Amino acid sequence: MDIFLQQLINGLTVGSLYALVALGYTMVYGVMKLINFAHGDLVAFSAFAGLTIYAQIFGEGKTSIFIVLSVFIITALLIAIVGVLLERLAYRPLRTAPRLSAVVSALGAGLVIQNATMLIWGPNMKIFPSNLFPSTIWQIHGVVFTFTQAMILGVSAALMIALYLFINKTKMGTAIRATAIDQDAAKLMGINVNRVIMIIFVIGSALGAVAGLFIGINYRGITFDMGWMYGLNAFIAAIMGGIGNIPGAMLGGILLGLFNAMISGYISSAWAETFTFVLLVVILIFRPTGILGETIAEKV
Amino acid sequence: MKRTFLKVVTSIVACSALVASLNAADVIKIGVQAPITGKYANEGQSIDNGVKLIVAQYNANGGVLGKKLEVVSCDDEGAAQKAAICARKLVNAGVLAVIGSYTSGATEAAQTTYYRNKVLQTSDGTSDSLTKHKYWTFFRNSFPNSAEAKFTAKYFVKSKNYKKIVVLSDYSSYATGLADATVKAIKDLSGNVIYRGKIKSGTQNFTAVLTKIKSMNPDVIYYSGYYNDGGLLRAQQLQLGIKADFVGGDSNDNPDFMKLAGSSAKGTYLINVPTPDILPYDIAKKFLKDYKAKYGIMPASIWTLLNIDGLRAVLHGAKETKSLDTKKISDFLHTLKGFPGITGPVNFRSDGERIGGGYMAYQVQADNSYKIVYK
Repeated sequence: MDIFLQQLINGLTVGSLYALVALGYTMVYGVMKLINFAHGDLVAFSAFAGLTIYAQIFGEGKTSIFIVLSVFIITALLIAIVGVLLERLAYRPLRTAPRLSAVVSALGAGLVIQNATMLIWGPNMKIFPSNLFPSTIWQIHGVVFTFTQAMILGVSAALMIALYLFINKTKMGTAIRATAIDQDAAKLMGINVNRVIMIIFVIGSALGAVAGLFIGINYRGITFDMGWMYGLNAFIAAIMGGIGNIPGAMLGGILLGLFNAMISGYISSAWAETFTFVLLVVILIFRPTGILGETIAEKV
Repeated sequence: MKRTFLKVVTSIVACSALVASLNAADVIKIGVQAPITGKYANEGQSIDNGVKLIVAQYNANGGVLGKKLEVVSCDDEGAAQKAAICARKLVNAGVLAVIGSYTSGATEAAQTTYYRNKVLQTSDGTSDSLTKHKYWTFFRNSFPNSAEAKFTAKYFVKSKNYKKIVVLSDYSSYATGLADATVKAIKDLSGNVIYRGKIKSGTQNFTAVLTKIKSMNPDVIYYSGYYNDGGLLRAQQLQLGIKADFVGGDSNDNPDFMKLAGSSAKGTYLINVPTPDILPYDIAKKFLKDYKAKYGIMPASIWTLLNIDGLRAVLHGAKETKSLDTKKISDFLHTLKGFPGITGPVNFRSDGERIGGGYMAYQVQADNSYKIVYK
């Protein structure tokens, strides 16, 4: 039983990271019908940027709640700006072009970000300091729960709830939902679509930045090409949950994380990916729009 | 106008042809095939730097057979596809010998190309399969997995008396080979391997497999893969409260292992040939001093030094046979006995296998230094 609970915690931790990244995919898709393939590389970029911000501004070795919080906020702001730039340079000029052109542009932008990361920080693995979060470990009946895991779960949950409320309860959220349903009609209703799209990229990129920092803090070693793996998994999570649907992305991320942990734990890690794709195919056969992707009119 | 242009072009072509022919006559090219970027970059760069240092030293002493040496490097990123491209590139560059690569997988992917084109190759790759082809061009400058596996098994069963042994590897041909050989060697000594698992390199999150291992309550977890996963594996092992000893195979012996594992590195065991700093030979001390002076850091690990010995043996062969005929050099090297190397005497067998090699087990101390615990 404790083994099962431990696998549950392992899965939830990875799952919430996938969910955070998946939100970036799903929001952009919801509004622009574009798969932002550069998102995964942006996540990797944010991990490197966060490490540099920490080392340059606050100095290595120092740590406090204030410093860690500042690193998160500054990195999220910086990555939000990069996200907006990405939209301006790579997607806006192609907004009226066929959708395939935009997808190719997204793939290209991903390569640009990945190689920029390699050129700025070098091809070697960089390593996060181990003292950013306290190394507290709770142990209940043999089930281990670390402070970092608690933070990942807590912060992701808080961010997702905040995002859900923002989309559903605020005026801007209504504008986002309206743009997702019909861009032209939204324009006619006086909604500034460019602004909506900007906001989408700000939120998506900032969430990606938080995920990137958590990846760095939890796993310590970061490489310039790790974005591909997280991007792919998050993309699958977004599709499982119903791409374009925000709660769907959260659900998809968590499900994928749990599923991977259970397969690796009870069968073999070699089979984790195979089973993931089998699960994806099965879900798509029975629910072509994803688990929560039914209410097409509510796409955001 | 057109005619002047033509003249310029022809003269440029003529000049470059002249330069090329001069080059061909005066220079011996040495190839380096190493993972200069990518996951194993710090090993690859160290090998590349080491070769350049040695070549500069030979050149300062007048080169070999009156010719200067020149290094041609190719980055294989530790990947088989890139290795095949590197092999073609280095063959086309007309190298006499290739040093590398670091990983067995990349080495094996390039081996046949060098063999067909009669280019010598010396690598630190430890997969037993590397010398199985019996290519006369190939020389292993390290020692094969089977030797390390036997040592590891003896250490586990006879010295440590581990009752429940877990063996992990990644999916690379090197790591699976080493892990399988180790399992076999442990069974030969009637040791008890309770689990043989694999992790996917680079996935960062190994908690699922480790949780499974936790339920088996092992005495030791042995990992045969590379340091960039090994360090994380060790950190996550302690995080999950698994009390077992952690023993890393030779490829975990890298400064990045300590950085990744952080405070968890303490108490880890590593199995490898002697580390550079405890080599008793004068040439080893001199090499380390020169390397430090030129690059400001120490070589990444023993692998650089093993490759350097491969290079030195090849150059020694060229000098002794007074020829650049690779077949002649190869015949000479196959009977080489007791050539003083940085990592000890270099002796080759007729299949290109290096003879000798004493493994040691180290325990990592609180300051990340090594203490020899078994040899």
